[in-house]
Amino acid sequence: MNAFFSYLVHGISVGCGFALVASGIIIVYRVTRVVNLAQGMFSVVAGFAAATLLGVGLPHGVAELAAIATAALVGFLTGCVAIGKPGTNPQASLIATLGVGVFAYAVEVLTWGDQPRSFSGLSGSYDLWGIDVPKQYLLITLVTLVVFGALEAFFERTYAGKALSACASNPYAARLQGIGVVRMGLYGFALGGALGGVAGVLLTPVQPISYDSDVPLFVNGFASAILAGLKRPVLGLLGGLVLGIAESMVAGYAKASYQSSLALLLTLAILIVQATRREALHAVEE
Amino acid sequence: MTRVQAGPWAVAILAGVAMAAATVLDESALSVYVLLALTASVTVGVTLLMGHAGQVSLGHGAFYAAGAYAAGLLAKHGFPSWIALLVAPIAAAGLAAAVGIPLLVLRGHHLAFATLALHLIFLSLISELSITGGDVGLQAIPPLSFAGVTLSSVRSYAYLSAGALVLVVVLARNLLVSRPGRALRALSSSEVAAASSGVAVGYYKLAVFALSAGFAGLAGGIYAFYMGYLAPGSFPVMLSIEYIVMAAVGGLGKVSGAVAGSALVFLLVHGLSRVSTLSGMPGTAPIILSYAVYAVLLVSAVLFLPGGLVALLLSRWERPSPRSQRPAPPPSEAKPSDPATEGVTSKHGSFS
Repeated sequence: MNAFFSYLVHGISVGCGFALVASGIIIVYRVTRVVNLAQGMFSVVAGFAAATLLGVGLPHGVAELAAIATAALVGFLTGCVAIGKPGTNPQASLIATLGVGVFAYAVEVLTWGDQPRSFSGLSGSYDLWGIDVPKQYLLITLVTLVVFGALEAFFERTYAGKALSACASNPYAARLQGIGVVRMGLYGFALGGALGGVAGVLLTPVQPISYDSDVPLFVNGFASAILAGLKRPVLGLLGGLVLGIAESMVAGYAKASYQSSLALLLTLAILIVQATRREALHAVEE
Repeated sequence: MTRVQAGPWAVAILAGVAMAAATVLDESALSVYVLLALTASVTVGVTLLMGHAGQVSLGHGAFYAAGAYAAGLLAKHGFPSWIALLVAPIAAAGLAAAVGIPLLVLRGHHLAFATLALHLIFLSLISELSITGGDVGLQAIPPLSFAGVTLSSVRSYAYLSAGALVLVVVLARNLLVSRPGRALRALSSSEVAAASSGVAVGYYKLAVFALSAGFAGLAGGIYAFYMGYLAPGSFPVMLSIEYIVMAAVGGLGKVSGAVAGSALVFLLVHGLSRVSTLSGMPGTAPIILSYAVYAVLLVSAVLFLPGGLVALLLSRWERPSPRSQRPAPPPSEAKPSDPATEGVTSKHGSFS
């Protein structure tokens, strides 16, 4: 039973990381209709940047925030490439984000080398009701909850958030209201970059990252986003938690190498069922 | 009338150039040549799929690997190696048809993700299963032999891979100029319109998916015999992305562009990595340069040259400005010189 709870705790914290990546994917997708294949890269950049900044002596907190800001900037630049040119259709943008992700490989290997890196987060653990909870896991969960709370407030309470939502639901009507759709898309990318960055600085102490860690991060983030129906960023939290806990249980009770295949198969199944149902609805309407 | 694809002469010239290159190149160049011809064969399939069926596949490396493993496994288990090579494309096409039935209800980024997922699942399968040798892979695959002749030299594999490339190009070209080709073009512009004109959209999409996987499987089968060993590490996700870069540089949907684009990108990356290993640069220089080249080519081709870099070069060639009467040939050994455009050039010349 104790093993179960430790898998659960691990699953929740990993799931929070997935959820942050997923919310970035969802926001960019909602505002621009582009699935950002470079989303995992933002976390890698932030993780590397935080490791470097801590290495030169910046205190914890400052280094992580600077790394997140870097990721936001990288997100903005990715957006410029993906949707900056007028008339780029979503498929071309998708491939452009793929290109940005590959370009980031070159920059990352040039700057940080091709070996995995990590830095120390919070060490030690709490004993909660007889369950051993590492402090870093707790930090991941708390920060994620705060971030999602802030996201919800941002989209519900601020003008910028509402403008982003407006672009997401109807770009044409949004433009008529004087909202710059492309500019909003770029803000979406920057926000996606920041969210990926948060995931990166939180997860790197738990799991060392290397330049190609972006593939599993993207895959799990996208899987969580699909579980959430690619709709509201907050639902991404639910998707991430479900996936994180499921993978942690599979890794714990079956075999660690099955966990990513499980996530992929689950996502494929959901995608296919959704597409088939959509087609069926379509046929009924006709 | 706009020409959809290069004429039979282009194919004949490609075949001639490919065979001549296989005859004259030296050993070290031939080892590059074999991999280039195999890569180009896969890219032709990718360009068919992306340009004519409107499907983005981030998983063609998996079909390449499937062909390679099918051939390697059969050859290692005592089957005649030429049968193993024949089975390679069939196995890859069969895999594509089997996974294609559920996957092809997806479109756009969903399909792109699904094919990426397919590649990742395939990789984790071959590194888990004991029959495929796990992470170590398959060692000591016997060389290809047929009717008592054993292919052991690099040159023989150069001929074989050049032959495979020509076969793939001929098949792709014939497909595109035939009735199914017109159906494919129709469905890539509008599936609904194509369906209402009686095109069996689902069937054609699946067929072209399987065919392009078959091309990849054939190339993979030759790769297995050529290398003699296979490991999951030889088929990274990046491999699937490289095919997309090459197809995009060649101009999506253009068979000759796929061959030229592969040649251009492959030789550029290969040349750069050779330079970077020579001049005492850090050990990571080759991968940095190759990632940068792939990325820059991909983004610029997708955003600024939807017709492909090769089309741009050919159009330069087609209309030489008075300033540059003798235009530079396309860089490196970008092979297929389209006789159609050559004809136009000379006609231009005689008029001016």
